[in-house]
Amino acid sequence: MFDRLERAVERGRDLGASYVELRGEDGFLEFLQMDDGRVNALTQRIERGVAIRVLADGAWGFVSTGKLDGLDGAVKEAYSMAKAAARTRKDKISLANVKAYREVIELKVDRDPRDVPIEEKIAYMQDMTKAIRDYDERITAVTVKVRTASGSKYLVTSDGARIRSPIMLVWSYPWVTGKEKGQLSAARHEEASTHRGWEYMDEVATPQHMAEQVAKRVKLQLEGVPAKGGSFPCITGPRVIGVLAHEALGHLAEADLTINSSFNGKLGKVVASEGVNMIDDGTDPGNLGTSRYDDEGVPSSKVEIIRDSVLTELLSNREYSAKSDLRLTGNARAESYLHPPIIRMRNTYFETGDHSFEELFEGIDFGYYLADFRGGQAQMNASFQVGIQEAYEIVDGEMGGPVRDLSISGIATDSLFKIEGISKEEFPYELGRCGKGQEAFVASGGPDIRFGKGGITFGGQG
Amino acid sequence: MTDERTLLELCRHIVASGERMGATAVEAQASSTSEVESNIELSQISSVNRKDLDGIAIRTFVGQRMGSAFTNIPTKKTVDEALSLALKAAKASTPDEDWTSLPKPAKYPAIKGLWHDSVADCDSARVVEFAEEYMSRAIGAEPGLMPAYGGSGAGTEHSAYANSNGIEHAERGTTAYVFLAAIAQIESGVTPAIGSYDIRRDLKFDLDWVVEDIVSMIRLCKRTSEGVSGSHTVIFHPDAYQQMLFYTLIQSIRGDNVARGKSMIADKIGEAIASKLVTIVDDGTIPEGVATSMADDEGVPRRRTPIIEKGVLRSFIWDSYWASKMGVESTGNASRSMRQGQVELSPSTVVVEPGKRDIKDLVSEVKHGYLVRDVQGAHSSNPESGDFSIVGNPAVLIEDGEMKGAVHGLMVSGNVFDLMKQVVDVAKTPLVLQGLIGPEIVCEDMKVIARE
Repeated sequence: MFDRLERAVERGRDLGASYVELRGEDGFLEFLQMDDGRVNALTQRIERGVAIRVLADGAWGFVSTGKLDGLDGAVKEAYSMAKAAARTRKDKISLANVKAYREVIELKVDRDPRDVPIEEKIAYMQDMTKAIRDYDERITAVTVKVRTASGSKYLVTSDGARIRSPIMLVWSYPWVTGKEKGQLSAARHEEASTHRGWEYMDEVATPQHMAEQVAKRVKLQLEGVPAKGGSFPCITGPRVIGVLAHEALGHLAEADLTINSSFNGKLGKVVASEGVNMIDDGTDPGNLGTSRYDDEGVPSSKVEIIRDSVLTELLSNREYSAKSDLRLTGNARAESYLHPPIIRMRNTYFETGDHSFEELFEGIDFGYYLADFRGGQAQMNASFQVGIQEAYEIVDGEMGGPVRDLSISGIATDSLFKIEGISKEEFPYELGRCGKGQEAFVASGGPDIRFGKGGITFGGQG
Repeated sequence: MTDERTLLELCRHIVASGERMGATAVEAQASSTSEVESNIELSQISSVNRKDLDGIAIRTFVGQRMGSAFTNIPTKKTVDEALSLALKAAKASTPDEDWTSLPKPAKYPAIKGLWHDSVADCDSARVVEFAEEYMSRAIGAEPGLMPAYGGSGAGTEHSAYANSNGIEHAERGTTAYVFLAAIAQIESGVTPAIGSYDIRRDLKFDLDWVVEDIVSMIRLCKRTSEGVSGSHTVIFHPDAYQQMLFYTLIQSIRGDNVARGKSMIADKIGEAIASKLVTIVDDGTIPEGVATSMADDEGVPRRRTPIIEKGVLRSFIWDSYWASKMGVESTGNASRSMRQGQVELSPSTVVVEPGKRDIKDLVSEVKHGYLVRDVQGAHSSNPESGDFSIVGNPAVLIEDGEMKGAVHGLMVSGNVFDLMKQVVDVAKTPLVLQGLIGPEIVCEDMKVIARE
C-alpha cells in the first residue's frame, strides 16, 4: 500500500500542489444486530479505499475512492477540485510545519476480532439478551448491536510522513425497553475499545456487565417520579459531566468552531469558577480516543483547554494552527477514507477538585443528582441540551428516589461560573461516539461536580 | 460511476451464484453514487470534494438462517468473495422462525423528474458558484451576518436490486442542494447558528427564498428577549417539529416497533390520536421528495401511505419481514444500511397537509408565545413513551402579534401524543425539507421553561 500511495503523492507534486496527502485503509469490519434474539444483521466486509487531499493555490481538493488502481487520476481530480475552490478565496490556506514521522505502529491484542468465530459473537449477544430479560420481568424488548474492526491505515504526505497505524475496534451497545401499566421507558449503554481485541468483551464489556448497566436504568425509569421543570441546584456525576465537557465546552474549543462560537476572543480570559480545569488528552494509554498520531501525521498531545479557570488552549490541526497561531495539538481525525480529517476531541474531562462526595450535597434542600445521559447536543452560542436517563432527587442534602425523563439545558459559558464544588474522587470515563458530520470514538468524564441554582435548567413533565 | 444496468447485471450474478452455492434465498442491492460538493468555512469556500462510491450489499438465507455481506468493489470476483462471507455467516447464524420469504415482483409507480441531466453534468466550478452566490448575497443583505459553515452539492445515484424470487429492478436519480448556516455577533456572544437550505432534484435553486429566510431570522436573533415560564402558545417551524416527530411519533408508527411492543399507539388504528387539523402521509412517490424512488431497499414499490387523517390513526409503515409477521402488506418502507447490512423501517417523505392561513396571520394572533425555529435535543427524547424536553434554539418571543427577539435557553417539554392534540392551526405554505414537506404548526398550552 505504501508504494502505491507514494507514487500518487509524487504525481500530486508533479502537478504543482503545495501539499498532497493520501490515507489508505485496508480493514475487516463486522456489524451484528440482534432484536429480541433474532439476528437482524450479521455483516462482514473487507473494505479498501484511499482518501486523497490536495492543497493547491490555497484551497483544498478532496477525493475518496475505492479504486486503488486509479490513484493517479484521483490525485489529478483532487488537484482540479482545489483549483476550483481556490478561485473564490481571498486569503490562502497554509499549513503549520510539522516534523515528518516515519513509523510502523504495531498493536498486539489477545484476540483479534476477525479470528473470533461468528458463533461466539452470536452467543455473546444471546447471553446479553437473556441477562437483560432476567433482570426485570417488565423488560419487553431488547436490541443488541456489536461492531468490530481490524486492519491497518496508511498515511503518506508530500511533507515526508509515512505512518502505518492499526485499526482496531470492539463495540457493544444494548437498547432496552420496559413497560408497566401503559408506561414505556427506554435506556441504552455503550462500551468500546480501540486498543484491545475481543478479550475486552470477555473481561470488561461482558454480557452481565452490559445487562446490569442498561437494565437497571430501565427499571429506575419505570419506578421514577416525573421530573420538575425549572432551575435547581444539581450534582452531575462522571458520565454527565463528561458529556457536558464534550458537548457544551469541548466543541467550542475546536479551533474550526471557536471563531464562530462563544469562546471567540476569550483565550487567556477567565471562563469558569475558581478551581476548574478541563483537559483533552490524546495520549492517555489505552483510552478510547487515544492514538499516537492524528490523521495528518501530527503526534497526539494533552491539551489544557481550561487551566485554573482560564481558557488556555484550543484543539487544532495544521490549517488552524497556522491560521490562528495555535500550538499544533494533533486533533485532526477522520472517520475513514470516506472523509477528510477535521478537528475532533479525543478524551475530554474535568480534573478532580478538593470536595468529598458528601460535602457536595450539603445545603441542597431540593435538587437533582444526574448519573447518566441519553444523547446531548450543543450550539455555537454555547446553548446545550442533554437528555438524562438516570437521575435522583436530592432532598434535604440526601440522595432521594429516582426520576424519569429528565432533560437539562443551559448556556455553557454561564454554567461554568455556577460551579460550586468539585469532587476529589477519581472517576470512570464514559465511552462513546461523537458526530460532527462524521463519527469519532471519544471518551469523556470528570468527577462529581455541583452547580448552583441558575446554572442548569431542568425540563421535565412534572 | 457504475451505471444502473451494470449494477443490475452484478445483482443478477450474485443471485445466480448464491443459489448455485446452496442459498435458499438471495438478494443483492447495489448502488453507485457520485457527488461533487463545496464546503464553506469562515465565510469562504475552503474545499471542493468528490466522492465516487460503489456499494453492494448481499443477504443470503440458508433455510431460516440469515447472513449478509458488503463490498465496495463492483467486480464479479469481489462480489463472489462477499457472497462467500454472507453464506458463511448464514450457516453460523441462528434460525429465525418468523422469516418466510423475500419480496415478490410487483408493479412500480411511474415517477417523473427523478433524474436531471443538468445535475449529472454539473461540474466543480458550477457547484462553487452556487455556494458563492448564496453566501455573498446573504452577507450583502444583512450587516454583521457571518457564514459559519455550509456548501453546495450535486450528485447522482444509480441503483439496482435483484432477488431469488425474480425481482429485478434498476433506477437512477439526481440530487442537488445549497446550504448555509450563519451567525452574527451580539453583546452576549453570538446568535444561534441559523441554517437554511434548498434541496431538490434539479438545479433550479430558489436563492431568493433561502437568502431571505436566513437573513430575516438572523435579523430577529440579533435582538434578545426574555422568556417566561408557563403554559404558552408555541409555533413550531417544520425544521423543529421534523426532528421532534422523527424521534417520537415516527418511531411509534414503525411496524417493527408496533410488533415488538415498543409503540404507545400500537392498538390505536381507527382512533383519534391528534387534532382534526392534523393529516400526515408517508409519501414515497412525491416528485419533490429527495427520498422518493420507485422501489424501496427490498425492491418493493414505494407508495403513498396515509398515517393520520384528520386526527385519526390510519396506518403504520412496514417492510416485508414485519408485514409478513403481522399479516399485512409492506408499505415499501424498507431501508438498508448498505455497509452494516441491517434492513430497518424508515419513513420516505413525511407530508404534513397544509392548512388555510398565512403564517403572518397566525403570528399576529399570538398575545404571548414563541416561534421555535430549530431545536436541540430531539434525539434524546424517549422514543417509546413520546416524552420530549427540547431547547428551542432559536426560539423567538412573540408578543401582541409581533416577533420580538431570540430567547436563549428556552425549553419546551411535553409528550408528542399530547402535542398532536394541542395543534390549533396549521399554516398554508409547506416547506420542502429533506425528509419532510410541511408548513408551520401552532400548538396551544405547551409547557415552556425559561432560563433563570
